[in-house]
Amino acid sequence: MKSAEAYEHEQGWDFEKAAMPYVDSLYNTAYRMTRNSEDAEDLVQETYLKAYKYYDKFEEGTNFKAWLFKIMKNTFINNYRKKKLTPHKIDFSEIEESYERVIQKNAPDLIKDPESEIFQDMMDEDVKRALDSLPHDYKMVVLLADIEGFSYKEIAEILDCPVGTVMSRLYRGRKMLERTLLEYARKYGYIRGQAEPAKMRSRKDETKGRKKKEQPEGEEAEVQEPEENEEEILFADEEDADLELEEEEEEFGIE
Amino acid sequence: MLCREVKRAVYFFLDGTLDPKHKRDFSKHLKLCPECEQRITIQRRIRLFIKKRLARLTAPARLKQRLTRSLRAFAD
Repeated sequence: MKSAEAYEHEQGWDFEKAAMPYVDSLYNTAYRMTRNSEDAEDLVQETYLKAYKYYDKFEEGTNFKAWLFKIMKNTFINNYRKKKLTPHKIDFSEIEESYERVIQKNAPDLIKDPESEIFQDMMDEDVKRALDSLPHDYKMVVLLADIEGFSYKEIAEILDCPVGTVMSRLYRGRKMLERTLLEYARKYGYIRGQAEPAKMRSRKDETKGRKKKEQPEGEEAEVQEPEENEEEILFADEEDADLELEEEEEEFGIE
Repeated sequence: MLCREVKRAVYFFLDGTLDPKHKRDFSKHLKLCPECEQRITIQRRIRLFIKKRLARLTAPARLKQRLTRSLRAFAD
């Protein structure tokens, strides 16, 4: 072990000082990606060691946090994605429709009590479950934008995709997440004054309700067979052609 | 702006990333259309909820120690 003075002269110290403040952010995202703390810790450690190894490649003046996230994303894809994740095809128009239905039907209740939290009785476990129900690519953009506060451009850089893709995924990811939350809220009576009264519930009720109302495992039900090029297929299906990738960016002239 | 355009632009509006012209059109539409205005209020509330409830987890102390140790071992 070297003395602190000797260590300080090395790159290691510099890196440690720069990188350690982001450990919570990286861990949080890693945990949401891997869904368990052991894998999340391993992923963060591997990210840090890789980042340290390539620290001289980091361009001074660019976003260091985004650089670390990019390394983590690549590490995750290499390690986990091959075995665990496959791209999904989603019927987004169905999601959009059911979202509209719930919003319209429950609007008066959803704008009541503006001072309090919207689904204040909802359990954190349900919120986590709703996030986990998102396909990986959509979950990533939602996390990076809404939890980590990265800009669209930074997310595009981290994920190696065009800004238009980030915007489309963000739109859809948020929509899916909100739809799922609204569904839970309606089903379990978190939206006040609904036909279904608020009640104590158990995991058993949940499974029962879900089986009856939707197809088994709500999430998988909308997800069809994986295809080779997710993005193309996803948007080829889209009836609303305006929603396509780059057009979004041009149309609304972001940032 | 039409209602359907407002629906599509809602997240960009809430993110504050619409360009000034679209932002103006958007706000103007909201003033004239109570239905869209109501939707935005709901969506804003849901977003607040999500941000609050998915607040950041903290890395376990053992991970921080592990990182410091492995980085220093790597540097040696």
